[in-house]
Amino acid sequence: MRRVAVIGVGMTRFGKHDSTSGELFASAAADAIADADVAPSAIQAIYYGNVTGGEGERQLHTSPLGASLLGLPTIPTTRFENACATSHAAFRHAVMEIAAGISDVVLVGGAERILHVPTDAATEYFAYCSDASFEQPVGLTFPGVFALIARAHMDKYGTTEQQMAHVAVKNHRHGTLNPKAQFRKEITLETVLKSAYVADPLKLFDCCPFTDGGAAIVLAAEDVARRHRRPVWVLGTQAASDAMFMHDKRDLARVTATERAAQGAYRQAGKTPGDVDVVELHDCFTIAEIVATEGLGFFEPGTGGLAAERGWTSLGGRLPVNPSGGLKAKGHPIGATGAAQIGEITTQLRGEAGARQVEGAATGLVHTLGGNTATVLVSLFGRD
Amino acid sequence: MTDRVITLKGFFDEARAGRLSAIRCRSCGDLAIPPRELCPRCQERQWELVPLHGTGTVTSFTVIRIPPRGRHAEAPYAVAVVKLDEGVSLLGRVVEIPLDALKAGLPVRFRPLMTDEHVMIGFGPAAE
Repeated sequence: MRRVAVIGVGMTRFGKHDSTSGELFASAAADAIADADVAPSAIQAIYYGNVTGGEGERQLHTSPLGASLLGLPTIPTTRFENACATSHAAFRHAVMEIAAGISDVVLVGGAERILHVPTDAATEYFAYCSDASFEQPVGLTFPGVFALIARAHMDKYGTTEQQMAHVAVKNHRHGTLNPKAQFRKEITLETVLKSAYVADPLKLFDCCPFTDGGAAIVLAAEDVARRHRRPVWVLGTQAASDAMFMHDKRDLARVTATERAAQGAYRQAGKTPGDVDVVELHDCFTIAEIVATEGLGFFEPGTGGLAAERGWTSLGGRLPVNPSGGLKAKGHPIGATGAAQIGEITTQLRGEAGARQVEGAATGLVHTLGGNTATVLVSLFGRD
Repeated sequence: MTDRVITLKGFFDEARAGRLSAIRCRSCGDLAIPPRELCPRCQERQWELVPLHGTGTVTSFTVIRIPPRGRHAEAPYAVAVVKLDEGVSLLGRVVEIPLDALKAGLPVRFRPLMTDEHVMIGFGPAAE
């Protein structure tokens, strides 16, 4: 198998946009191609992610549309949909296309536009990522899914609402350092703890926002990547699934797909959790960050809340998590999120993250979770 | 489709009539809801239909205060994962139990909840 590197990154500002998701992708993709310093004609395939195009924009067949709006209408392209893990899933398949020797340069990207529909419609569309037979009929929402996990984690380990609030405060503080973040304002513990319940025990400030945005990266085979400045190498990339039904999860206080994906990615990379310098992980809700830091092996099960409370996951702490602001403050355009997370880790490993730079970061990890924890991807990255 | 002892439609038709059912693997004895082709535990394809008593205890729960479109009149409402006495779990809407009385371990009993279009899995107080 050939080695694969990230050689270009691009991302729109995250927040409210008047552009379609196709335009948002095309904008980010053109930035990524320019950053990679490759000829657009060198791109041999586009792996594209979008989730709610059909529901929110009456638009399917979004991958050739995105390619056309980019101005590369003849390049083969396929759309991926794995709920919130969509563009990380697209990334993994693009890596395999290059590693297998089929293509040398591949573009990966994703985009979402959702803020033009009312909040209750967006809540409904996102709930389509949970099961339509058992979960949607009883009115389970995505905050509800993670509330079930939060309650189980609190009952099993004594995790508190205040510990969860620390995650929100930290990620908002990081977001102030990211010019493209949706929220660039510090918040206090009190702001989080006094915000209204959305799905008990999760409150408004435990939840990431609805977001419009696009992100893209350019991947290349080793011989092409060697000709470029600062390649960031893909050391390992693994996907894992878990039972789709919340009632089928063996332990609601864990996300076993995270654990299995992490084990595979660490094994491929020849790394351990202790080797990781910087992490972008899927903090769609504050409890999700706590459970992920445990499942990825950074903290013992049940101590992720304590790690947040003690500041271990802050910039300047022992393992900075979500220096970009995470989904919580950077924003979460679900089809774009995986590509944006990979873009942030690439920027960190290049040493170009400015005020949010993790000094000397050499190994980075990206974790993206889809929907009701039934899909997880974990990838590891390193620099020369 | 061969030897399918129950379908999703069959499961919900039974639930509408007040009967909760699961399938049991004839090979390893594992119980499952919803119906499926292969046993996730032993990969065999030999199921039998088993009736469930419908009683169990709450594993985890939440109170949904911001509902999806069309569900505003129902909010706030509670949703819980319930571990049934036979060992298999099921998600359902909790009714007739005060929201502040919900806790892990609370005994509950299945009841079908009719909506305009379909039946919804519900759980109420364990006492008849």
